[in-house]
Amino acid sequence: MSQPIDNLEEAVARLHVASKSSSAYESGPRKVVGKSAERLDAVEKATGETKYGQDLFDKKFLFAKVLRAAHPHAEILRIDTREAKKLPGVVAVITHSDVTGTNMHGLIRRDQEVLCSRKVRYLGDALAVVVAKTEEIAIEALGRIKVDYKPLPNILTMEDALKPDAPKIHTEGNVLGEKHLRRGDAPAAMREADVVVEDIIQTQTVDHAFLDLEAGRARYDGKMLTIEVAGQWLHEERRLIALAIGLPLEQLRLIQPATGGAFGGREDISIQIYLSLAALKLKGKTICLRYSRSESMVARHKRHPMRVHYKLGAKKDGTLVAAQVTFYVDKGAYASTGIAAMRKASSHATGPYKVPNVWADVIGVFTNNNPCGAMRGFGAVQTAIAYEGLMDRLAVKLGMDKAELRMKNLIHSGDAVTTGQIVPNATGVECFEAVLKKIDWKNRSYETAAPHLKRGYGVSVICFGLGYGDGFPDASRARCKLTADGMVEVYSSGIDVGQGLINMIAQIVAEEVGVPLERVRPILADTQLTPESGSTSATRQTYFTGSAVQLAASELKKQLQDIAAAHLEELVYEIKIDNGEAYNVFRPERRLTLRELAREGKRRGFSLEAMGVYKPPTVPEDTATGQSMRAFVTYLFGSHACQVLVDTETGEVKVERYIACHDVGKAINPDQVIGQIQGGVTQGIGMVLMEEVVMKDGKIMNPGFTDYILPTIRDVPEIECIVLENPDPGGPFGARGVGEPPLIACGPAVMSAIQDAIGKPIRILPATPERVWRTISEK
Amino acid sequence: MTKRITVILNNETRSLDVEPNDILLNVLRETLGVKSPKIGCERGDCGACTVLLDGKTVRTCLILAVEVDGHEITTLEGLSQSGLTPVQQSLLKHNSFQCGFCAPGMVLSATELLGKNPSPSQDEVKEAISGNLCRCTGYEPVIDAIVAVGKKAGKRV
Ligand code: FES
Ligand code: FES
Repeated sequence: MSQPIDNLEEAVARLHVASKSSSAYESGPRKVVGKSAERLDAVEKATGETKYGQDLFDKKFLFAKVLRAAHPHAEILRIDTREAKKLPGVVAVITHSDVTGTNMHGLIRRDQEVLCSRKVRYLGDALAVVVAKTEEIAIEALGRIKVDYKPLPNILTMEDALKPDAPKIHTEGNVLGEKHLRRGDAPAAMREADVVVEDIIQTQTVDHAFLDLEAGRARYDGKMLTIEVAGQWLHEERRLIALAIGLPLEQLRLIQPATGGAFGGREDISIQIYLSLAALKLKGKTICLRYSRSESMVARHKRHPMRVHYKLGAKKDGTLVAAQVTFYVDKGAYASTGIAAMRKASSHATGPYKVPNVWADVIGVFTNNNPCGAMRGFGAVQTAIAYEGLMDRLAVKLGMDKAELRMKNLIHSGDAVTTGQIVPNATGVECFEAVLKKIDWKNRSYETAAPHLKRGYGVSVICFGLGYGDGFPDASRARCKLTADGMVEVYSSGIDVGQGLINMIAQIVAEEVGVPLERVRPILADTQLTPESGSTSATRQTYFTGSAVQLAASELKKQLQDIAAAHLEELVYEIKIDNGEAYNVFRPERRLTLRELAREGKRRGFSLEAMGVYKPPTVPEDTATGQSMRAFVTYLFGSHACQVLVDTETGEVKVERYIACHDVGKAINPDQVIGQIQGGVTQGIGMVLMEEVVMKDGKIMNPGFTDYILPTIRDVPEIECIVLENPDPGGPFGARGVGEPPLIACGPAVMSAIQDAIGKPIRILPATPERVWRTISEK
Repeated sequence: MTKRITVILNNETRSLDVEPNDILLNVLRETLGVKSPKIGCERGDCGACTVLLDGKTVRTCLILAVEVDGHEITTLEGLSQSGLTPVQQSLLKHNSFQCGFCAPGMVLSATELLGKNPSPSQDEVKEAISGNLCRCTGYEPVIDAIVAVGKKAGKRV
């Protein structure tokens, strides 16, 4: 019996799923997908048994430490390690001259030296690795390394970097690159507009602040160099390490330990590469390395601070006609993934709104600040704060309700976004309606207990292109296998950083093959065992790896059906696998268990293993216009609404109520989806109200949680989540993804509420009490 | 200038030599092999290194090992010796952890709270957990889980 089909998208999704599914008799309610099964790794987390990188240490191992630059910008004249080497307990001191590979790394452009030889470009640059019997000795040895520098002028602002006579941070100059988008004739349309608003919004430097500090170990036995460090894309890290240290790829094995958060912060390579150098030099020894909190903050890349000049034009009735946007992006010292984040900004310049004429320019500028790269929301966070901020200013100028203005301009299915890509399944309106209803927008009350307390309401709507897009090869692979003990093993290099990937994968396999969740054994993230599954970023794992897993599981199931059909002497298309047993649907008395299937399969020489590859193509954006018919595989939509209370005497902002709606296609595990939404909103509240890496003369002034303030349990209200499930034809069981959108939609909603409360926009983030108070006091 | 100290760690008496400036967190993890207290900030800001010292939560990154001579320390290794406690069970049921790095500290802060106050209100839970940072969740499932233990306990009375 087929279930009734409510709408066209669902019918399409069903068709798609059916093509992945293998039995003619597969219908009826889902048993595992869509259920909030407990995390498979939850018990060990609650009992403290989980082994993170720092838990792999032992006193009998050797310990490494890294020497960092003493100047943000300087030439290196000489590195003298002789005194350090003499210190008892020191086993090795490694500098650039010991590196036999290219000594270069970087995710998109390899522009960063592993151990600097001629020049340092920020205070986190590494010059030497000391290995010693204890960490204390290694730290002492660092102090004995003498480095002679010739300091160069520090370039700390984009203005200074762009001056014609500015010293060059990289030989090619101080501009990393540019991105341009040209859709229609924005300047002409702007001239015709009835109303124009214009503003500059400045976002800040933000740290990932995952709690689990960079830590891990490595060992080289002469044949294989094994590195146990948390990353976000093991296969790419392996490639970069191989090139940098000059060891063939086949001799490197990367294993992911349990990982305490990542949020993009483990995307750029970190301690892996120093550990590899040390292990290679000290064959047969296990080397450990960990960062302190301050070293972690000083060394690691950050979220790009962006200055966004935004001009938005509309007709009298609020219909948007033109947008002109320029993004100035502080890249810090190295390229990292910056060019991709910049492209994310241009391709999302007007978010979920229909704007016929858009010109956007993005320029990435090198400075001697911390390099900036991936962080959850990747270029789209800053952009959403800008376009939603301008929508609010426009509503004020038009004297129009800000919800009405948004509703009027949201794209519908079949409309195009900034890149010109038509979105077949645009659900921004549906998300927005849901949050407006929940917060009771029409009846919102501004009454407060005292005149100095002002209430405000904010809304936001966002769309987000999932995956890498832009024609970049984007693929996930997975393998499924039935073992002799009747377990379905699933192999993937997707990484569980805490988001719950392990369940996403296991639940899909259980559902697809027809086995209970306990019969699935996920084996994740070990380059020796698991196939390449792309990066754990870009909200792509559910969509890409989930699909690869579903394909592999479906293929395995077909093989198991063959085995059952042969053994039971039945027709293969009448074989059902349910609850871990295979039988003919019309004669369910005779059944084969998974163990029996494995035995029979082996006896008959049938395959018990299958591979799934998912690689949907995208089309590169035109370099001059940024237009592409398929810039991203699919788009995600979400909308938030919130209520804040501002104390106008102190500038303090309290988020009183928060509602978040996201269309996730299908929640493979609803509790985990809600966890992602609440966690993303919490990071969003952190970003707009308190978090800021304060840089002075290239130095981080708050490299720890005493002064880099993170949201605590007191800062976060209850976050009411609305999960919509409009299936996506390309995702597993219709699932789209949810990692980044909650953080992207949060910032603009809170900023919108503050503006509503105090009657003025905040232009510089974060909206700390001081800044809010100053804005209120300014005449 | 090592000093011999004796602690009751998870119901077991352990004697060991420590340096006067040895931090308790490092001694627990490296010398005593108890790894559930985590290193998150080493400055008392995150709560990941929390243990129970004579039943009260302390941050072991701020304490010297010599200070705990003769005292009793409980970590998750000891707490879970006879299976999951009600608070652990409730945290699991509420999907309270994502990466789980904050879990040891959260579990112990909740344990201390429920020891003194068997059915805490939301606000009391927030007060008790306010020193434990979590970067992954929105804290809500942690609050719900702890309040739920209290409700159950309340019913039994
Ligand atoms: S490590 Fe002790 S409070 Fe953070
Ligand atoms: S679950 Fe990751 S820090 Fe709390």
